[in-house]
Amino acid sequence: MMKPDIIPDLAVSHAKLDADGRLLAADRALLTLNDQAGGALGAALAVPQLATVARLARRLGILVSRAVTVADQDNDLDLWVRVQPEGDGLRMAVSGWRELRARAIPPRPAPTVIEEGALAWETDASVRLTFVSIDAARRLGVDALSLLGQPLTALFALDASGNGGMPIIEAVARRQPFDDQPARLRGGDVRLLLTASVKLDADGAFAGLSGVARVEETAAAPDTPAISSGFTDGLDRALRAPLARIIAHADTIHAEAEGPVAPDYVDYASDIANAGRHLLALVDDLVDLQAVEAEDLALLTEPVDLADVARRAAGLLSVRAANAGVAIARPLPELHVAASGDFRRALQIMVNLIGNAVRYSPEGGVVSVTVSMRGDMAEAIVADQGKGIAPADQARIFEKFERVDPTEPGGNGLGLYIARRLARAMGGDLTVDSVPGDGARFTLTLPV
Amino acid sequence: MSVGPDQVERDALDTRIIAARRLAARADARLSGMIADFFLDDTARLDERTRVTLGRVLAAVVQGIESEIRRHAARVLTGRGMDAQAEQLLRGHEDIVRRLSRAGLLRDRSLMDELLAQVRCDLIASALPAVAAGPEQTSLLVRLAEVGDGVVAAAARALLSAEAQRRSAMEQGGVVANILPAERHHQLVWWVAAAIREATTTDSAVDQAIVEAAQRSLAAHDEGQRPEAIAMRLAAAIEARPDELGELLIDALGDRRLLLFVAVLARAVGIDFASARTIMLEPEGDRLWLALRAADLDRPTIARIALSLADADPRRDIEAFADDLDAVAAVPLESARNALAPMTLHPDLRLAIDALARGTA
Repeated sequence: MMKPDIIPDLAVSHAKLDADGRLLAADRALLTLNDQAGGALGAALAVPQLATVARLARRLGILVSRAVTVADQDNDLDLWVRVQPEGDGLRMAVSGWRELRARAIPPRPAPTVIEEGALAWETDASVRLTFVSIDAARRLGVDALSLLGQPLTALFALDASGNGGMPIIEAVARRQPFDDQPARLRGGDVRLLLTASVKLDADGAFAGLSGVARVEETAAAPDTPAISSGFTDGLDRALRAPLARIIAHADTIHAEAEGPVAPDYVDYASDIANAGRHLLALVDDLVDLQAVEAEDLALLTEPVDLADVARRAAGLLSVRAANAGVAIARPLPELHVAASGDFRRALQIMVNLIGNAVRYSPEGGVVSVTVSMRGDMAEAIVADQGKGIAPADQARIFEKFERVDPTEPGGNGLGLYIARRLARAMGGDLTVDSVPGDGARFTLTLPV
Repeated sequence: MSVGPDQVERDALDTRIIAARRLAARADARLSGMIADFFLDDTARLDERTRVTLGRVLAAVVQGIESEIRRHAARVLTGRGMDAQAEQLLRGHEDIVRRLSRAGLLRDRSLMDELLAQVRCDLIASALPAVAAGPEQTSLLVRLAEVGDGVVAAAARALLSAEAQRRSAMEQGGVVANILPAERHHQLVWWVAAAIREATTTDSAVDQAIVEAAQRSLAAHDEGQRPEAIAMRLAAAIEARPDELGELLIDALGDRRLLLFVAVLARAVGIDFASARTIMLEPEGDRLWLALRAADLDRPTIARIALSLADADPRRDIEAFADDLDAVAAVPLESARNALAPMTLHPDLRLAIDALARGTA
């Protein structure tokens, strides 16, 4: 889960190249990445994506900026690369090592997703309006054309949000989208909520906002728990079937089961299926989350064989492990360790732990699953040979929606939170110990 | 002679044979279409996005004219107490777009050229990477709308409005009225009128009403209000000096105002808007680089323009351009201007020259 701790966490990393594209000097992050790709100082850049940008900038003789995705061991890094010719050589600046990449072209809210009645607007870097959708504005009694070129505040009076902050200001400062800026229409009382994405230019500089204003629903939020059981039940019912259909169709397209398809679309279909699976897993987790957050969380207490649970969980993940080139060492069949708890939930926890371990193991690595008695508790230990977890992060990974490395693909930050809640509800616990660079060990304990 | 069961059977048989012949003709047409499609060069093939957008724009233009004519003609008829005919006209639901394309009228080169160019421009403009002129710096068109020179400011303001109108209409799935040049609009109005008339009972009063409605639509059309025309007016009002030209072109792309880019370029090398747009849209870009050279732009400026366009238009090959850049930058000003000279001829003469060339090819 494990952050790429080989690569230092820097905002921007610089490098100098000579006229032939050879690396003369580089900051550590870039140097590390280049070394991993088999390159060295004095030789040509070894990361092909970076070399392509550098070559283009050299040949055009102008600044070239590009978003590139570079594989760093088992992570993909989304990097933003700028190469500027300078004298006889080139100067390279690479950002985005941790944060999401700066996008030169933010996806404009597609026309089809702007629902009837919502007002689309766009501004430039000085937050002056360069576009307002005319019909929507007319319905609100506003002459859009007269507002073009005016500041955004000529159209909307911005209000502080519930916590007293101004989401729009924070969003512009942090260059992140916002979806909850309360506003009123100038010269009227219509309450609106503004949603927008930040446009960034090729240099990553703020180039304006592209947003939508929706008339705010007047109904006050009901005073109910964060997630009601009715909500998750509805979510479960409403999403599971359509998601399953999306995944099935996307898989069909990806497998070209119904005939050949242009290669781009085969790849898109795979992306769609993977995103669908991710969402389906999220639905499962949200349903679990509602269960574990309920005041009266009570789980079955029945005799279970923790060694059997561990073997089954390892069996369930054997295919995924084989695909990743990871071996799982599971408890021997004759081992039996009696514990008490809810069989299904214990299995769920073990699947989560082993699944994580497989995901973060290097190819050729081994995930070992051992089960034993320690004092009056049964314990199952899942150990991997991944990069480990820094001490500072060991508590955080059990928090809701927390992930050590937010850029790492897969996962939604709920698995470990749910697993620990479940373990504690059964009278046991879930803990981690890890030395960075030396793998992580997760220990599930259950009462006998 | 009595018409017995035999006759009825024969009639049924005839009907079947005629239907079978029609089906055979249709199958033949289908085969021609499929062969044409199969052998179509990939570079001549529309990508899905362009094809779908073009279909929508074409349908919206035709339907826009159609509903204008139907409504006004019905109004005229109601005024003359002919409510039944008015009702019939209003309720007409023939598919005019399909009727016109079946007749081959919509295959008109000039019409499709214009619509295709507009669609491509819109798609490229929306994909252009935005460039902030500087921190908190106002964008080009907004800045121009506020300059002291009233002519420039008015034209810039008009372009802001016209582009917002076109985008609003596109996002609502429609099209603003004034998107065609006068000749194309003129032609299309009469085609649509003829198709509406064809599906209505012949009645001279109805004909008269349709004609009146069509004439009203023609009179109301002002091609000077099209964003393309306004962009030309703005370029003329700015009248960029040679030393300002490169920056203006780059700023126009950075502000994603592709029409202004085209207009400024057209003005600088003395060709009309449509020609400048045509060469801007060519994926190979050879004529665009010539035009940029004819405007005496330097190597870095040409490279920056090429890079922006390549980022926005997947058909372009920036690596191939990089191979050519040195040669492009070395083209002498005079040679570039001479090469563009045919484009400065009267557009109608150029159309005729092209038609002649197609005829002998």
